[in-house]
Amino acid sequence: MNVVVTGTGVVLPRAASAGELIEPGPADAPPVEPKDLLGRKGLRYKDRATQLAYCAARAALRDAALVDTAGALAVAPLSVAVVVSSNYGNIDTITRAMDTITRETAAAGSPMDLPNASSNVVASSVAIRFGLRGPNLMLCNGATSGIDALRWGAGLIRAGRVARALVLGVEPDNEAVRAFLGGARTVDGSAAVVLEDAAAAAERGAPALAVLGDAVRGAGLAASLGRLSDAAGERPALWQVPETDDLPGALLDGVPRQDLGARFGLASGALGVLQCAAAVGWFARGGAGPVYASAGGDADDASAGLVLLRPAA
Amino acid sequence: MTWAVTGTGAVASVGRDPGELFANLCAGVSGVGELKGFDLSRHDARFAYEVDDRPEPGADVPRRATALLVDAIAQAARDAGLDERDLSGVPVLIGTGLRELRSVELWQRDGTDFPPQDLHFGTALRAAFNADDTHTFSNACSAGLYALALATDLLDGGTAETVIVAGVDVLTETMYGLLERVQPVPPERVRPFDRNRAGVLMGEGAAAVVLTRTPAAGRKVHGVVRSVAVNCDAYHVTAPDPGGIAEAIREAQAAAGRKPADIDLVMVHGTGTLLNDEAEAVALADVFGEDADKPLMTAIKSMTGHTSGASGLLNLVVTLTALAEGRVPPTVGLDDPVDEAAGFRIVTGEAARAPLAVAQLNAFGFGGVNAVAIVEAAR
Repeated sequence: MNVVVTGTGVVLPRAASAGELIEPGPADAPPVEPKDLLGRKGLRYKDRATQLAYCAARAALRDAALVDTAGALAVAPLSVAVVVSSNYGNIDTITRAMDTITRETAAAGSPMDLPNASSNVVASSVAIRFGLRGPNLMLCNGATSGIDALRWGAGLIRAGRVARALVLGVEPDNEAVRAFLGGARTVDGSAAVVLEDAAAAAERGAPALAVLGDAVRGAGLAASLGRLSDAAGERPALWQVPETDDLPGALLDGVPRQDLGARFGLASGALGVLQCAAAVGWFARGGAGPVYASAGGDADDASAGLVLLRPAA
Repeated sequence: MTWAVTGTGAVASVGRDPGELFANLCAGVSGVGELKGFDLSRHDARFAYEVDDRPEPGADVPRRATALLVDAIAQAARDAGLDERDLSGVPVLIGTGLRELRSVELWQRDGTDFPPQDLHFGTALRAAFNADDTHTFSNACSAGLYALALATDLLDGGTAETVIVAGVDVLTETMYGLLERVQPVPPERVRPFDRNRAGVLMGEGAAAVVLTRTPAAGRKVHGVVRSVAVNCDAYHVTAPDPGGIAEAIREAQAAAGRKPADIDLVMVHGTGTLLNDEAEAVALADVFGEDADKPLMTAIKSMTGHTSGASGLLNLVVTLTALAEGRVPPTVGLDDPVDEAAGFRIVTGEAARAPLAVAQLNAFGFGGVNAVAIVEAAR
């Protein structure tokens, strides 16, 4: 079974589409304001990660023609899975609520924080807002989390559980996250892609924007790249590199590199999904395949890789 | 398809391995006690089901969830005859509600050193087992059975021969404190399906199973997983929807080729909250219909507390022994069942003895994430 990408949504300060991941806006672009994109309705009490995710989810679902502009779902609710990846999504709620307990008591806490104290709040909130009733997964899996989310999204489709999956990565930037990361600034944004069984996409006339190849894992970047190369069977036209301080220059020597983390800020759990959306932008601009996406380097517990292929014309 | 369980591991407030856990549950031993790791002056509620592994009373330390998880996985790997020093290439799927957020709380409050890469469990599992294909799913209280569902997909698709599935959670002070805000009278214990239940209390624990396509000749098989259905209510961030739960139960039974009348035992989610127990009972009554009085039912959260991401797999480990021995632990603290559950055969008082072949496991989580598994005895 072929799994293809049929929609993308990108919500970053410097990029509002897959294409703008290739040609981004100015470096001093202001932060994304979800209420400007969505209106205020339904945003109250939602943490920043959830608000950003709403924006990217809506964009991807619209791009894939799964919802119309009124928000109505064009397919069966149980046919759509939601897979979200985020490492730092609810760090702000946890640290704020903990601070309240320490400074006052638990009685001073806000009951509205209760859902946000559970790390899956982004995935379930997206499902609720758009009425997506298929399997609902939240990955918090470190550096590889975004590519892992794509793997599990494709896995749910290949297992026959659903015809399509909204796969979304998000990392918010706020004081709590910055403190936790020792000052690092995250992308403060979200990317989403719709993965779909190619036959189901063809049936409803949705064009394929990219084709998902094999996903691999390995202990260390070199091992992971070796497996990617075996899976793809050819050298990549583009290598989307992991966020790591010590990327060996000799790896895939001569292959153009795309470093989304360096360009847009620490992507962490959102990286793999951003890479997938950027590959769609690359193909749309005439870029060749295959594209290798890598997340997780030698300092991480593992490195994950994914092959992305140009769709047949 | 069926998938064989060749190894189990468990640790909870009432037992440090599957055997001790099952014996204590059958004896009606509860793990409830006064809070051990929080500053009591910050809380009105007093009780939880904690694993007593802190170096000194009243002082908390980071990475306790990780330690419980490593313990449970090591038990399961040994039991299955895997080389626990090298689990490279073996997918390890971890379900958790709160991952290492307790460590984040200690970092926030006390400045305890806690690097971001320890927030997910892969870093520790690589160090402990050389595992390099690990996945931390943060799927609230159904995370364990959600991970089990994904494991069956890996085996079914032929991309893995053996998968380790684990679940873990420890108390976070924020979740504990915020639950105090929505439960007006702090519960003293978890009383699933009782008319006078006051709500949920958190528990701690970890459980792991080794799942394999074709067990090696001579290898003990604890039981088989027949199906796991997963869905989402898409209804409310905390409240359950009986309709979504009923759909998950029907899907799991259909995928296993079983009817309600075939189910001998239902391991209910049974959290003791007003909303869950009512929604779960309504869904069970709806699906089982005239057979609702046939299966035995029990809720081990009455003795383990709500172990969140670990709860589904603790239920699985307990279920496998229950099926093998024909013995079902009681639901302690259930004296006066709610009307919705009045027709059910919930085990109370003593452990029940009965021949058992087919069990259904329920797990539901915040956000309406539902998971239901059908499990059968090894024969």
